[in-house]
Amino acid sequence: MEEFVQQLTNGLAVGSIYALIALGYTMVYGVLKLINFAHGDLFTLGAYLGLTLLTSFSLQDKMGPLAAVGLLAIMVMGLVALIGALLDRVAYKPLRESPRLSAVVSALGASIFLQNTVMLIYGARFRVYPQDILPRTVIDFFGMPIPLMRILILLVSLAMMVALYTFIQKTRIGTAIRAAAIDQGAARLMGINVDRVILIVFMVGPALGGAAGLMVGLYYGQINFTMGWVYGLKAFTAAILGGIGNIPGAMLGGLLLGVMEALGAAYISIAWKDAIAFLVLILILIVRPKGILGERVAEKI
Amino acid sequence: MKKILGVLLALSLASAVFAAETVRIGLMAPLTGPWASEGQEMKQIVELLADQLNAKGGTQFEIVAEDDAGDPRTASLAAQRLSTKNVVAVVGTYGSSITEASQSIYDESEIIQIATGSTAVRLTEKGLNFFFRTCPRDDEQGRVAAKTIMSNGWKKVAILHDNTSYAKGLAEEAEGLLKKEGVEVVFFDALTPGERDYAAIITKMKSAGPDGVFFTGYYPEAGLILRQKMDMGWSVPFLGGDATNNPDLVKIAGEKAADGYMLLSPPVPQDLTTEAATSFINAYKAKYNAEPGSIWAVLAGDAFLVAAAGVDGSGSTDTTKVADYLKSGMKDFPALTGSINFDKKGDRIGDLYKVYKVDGAGKFIMQ
Repeated sequence: MEEFVQQLTNGLAVGSIYALIALGYTMVYGVLKLINFAHGDLFTLGAYLGLTLLTSFSLQDKMGPLAAVGLLAIMVMGLVALIGALLDRVAYKPLRESPRLSAVVSALGASIFLQNTVMLIYGARFRVYPQDILPRTVIDFFGMPIPLMRILILLVSLAMMVALYTFIQKTRIGTAIRAAAIDQGAARLMGINVDRVILIVFMVGPALGGAAGLMVGLYYGQINFTMGWVYGLKAFTAAILGGIGNIPGAMLGGLLLGVMEALGAAYISIAWKDAIAFLVLILILIVRPKGILGERVAEKI
Repeated sequence: MKKILGVLLALSLASAVFAAETVRIGLMAPLTGPWASEGQEMKQIVELLADQLNAKGGTQFEIVAEDDAGDPRTASLAAQRLSTKNVVAVVGTYGSSITEASQSIYDESEIIQIATGSTAVRLTEKGLNFFFRTCPRDDEQGRVAAKTIMSNGWKKVAILHDNTSYAKGLAEEAEGLLKKEGVEVVFFDALTPGERDYAAIITKMKSAGPDGVFFTGYYPEAGLILRQKMDMGWSVPFLGGDATNNPDLVKIAGEKAADGYMLLSPPVPQDLTTEAATSFINAYKAKYNAEPGSIWAVLAGDAFLVAAAGVDGSGSTDTTKVADYLKSGMKDFPALTGSINFDKKGDRIGDLYKVYKVDGAGKFIMQ
């Protein structure tokens, strides 16, 4: 039982990172029906930008760890959002009227470009975040030692997801995004500026991905230019699992994938944990081809 | 005229005598290409040692260097060139697959080859009479790991690898040896390299209750595991293989989490303690104004010394006799990295691997 609870918290912390990244995939897919393969690299970029900002301004010395991390998160999210918007302008907007395959190829190209840019700027070696920013407190949860940071990662991710969900459901822009996801042509006829909607989608998704990158950097400490590949793949899987195009689906899919991996590792075999997670994915897709929360196209986003 | 003729005659006689006493030793090394820094250092060390031996008098040695560029095709060309240059023995080379491409060429020409950094087990399992190596084999590390685990008194061990052929092989080697010795392997599994979160693995290992963990993978994962293990409040000792010998390990884990981490590795040149090694390192510093950086290049120096000892000891340049001498006549030859004996396969007998421990300041200290 004790091991089960511990593995559950392990899985939830990993899964909440997957979920944050998965939101970016699912939002873009919801509006554009495009898999943004460069999204994993925006996540990497978030981790590297966080490191640069943190070390070059030595924020934690000036304002204490909590405020430093908060300010850092805002700066990283803003910058990655700008890069996401730029990515859309350069790589996707010119191809809006082209066949969908062209945009997919462009996405793959953008991914390779971003990954190599990071490598050329920061080098191919592992980079390491300063060690002393976050408290390494271990809290005692009914006799089980659980690192405080794991719980914080989960809580921060959940807070961001709730904020995003409220934004999509309750605001005018959110309504416009939902409308554009259902039918771009009709949305345009209703006076919605679809280009602006797409721009916002390409800012919000990357901002969340960048925040995930920052969290990974801050907590795990070690980053390198290929890290976006593994996380991107897992997050993409999570988006499919939950039903791509569906925002609560991406959250559920991410958490579920993380927990499946942790429990698969715990009770079956560590070496097989990815195989187990993907087997479950296949089984779920056989039963529900549109993912767990995937519904009629009209309900997407 | 007569005088000049006399001088010429004397000179040619002298050179004839000189030629009879000069023994040519080939050096095949990656002087260019990805491992050029290794190859350059191999050449520097072998030439320095040859100069030292020649200065002592006795048999004179001449080094004939060829570049293998760290590439099997270039290596086979280099081997063909060297085999036409009347060399008794060839020192080299670094990479196992590069050595493998040249092995049969030297064997057919009956030239002794002493590899310096090629640790793949299969190289000496082919029954080649003229092949030797001064570096350890990949399976030696497993033996040293088992020995270290037992001397630490661990009764229950967790073994973790990363499914690469090297790490898995090492893990299986150690597992087999430990089981024979009655040490219980309570956990044996593989992680996926390239991930960030290994908490699930650490939790599972912890519940198996080992006295220590042996990790055979690479330093990025080792660093993350050490750090996350500390975060989870688990203080089990860790032992790693030589792929974790990288200063970045401490950067990733942090000094506190890396403190006490043990790893197996051939000694770095500065940790060599033999008399031969210290005087050699001083001579190297005096000549090149730097310290030798790679143990594999020092092993090239040993290969040259062994080749010279083979010629001197057998009193012959007949390679069959030299090979026989190296395998059965030579006992405890005092080389830079310790005493050298060869077995019938041409493998070096004895352990080169040492145990290193990370201290509180993040330094790797030889135990």
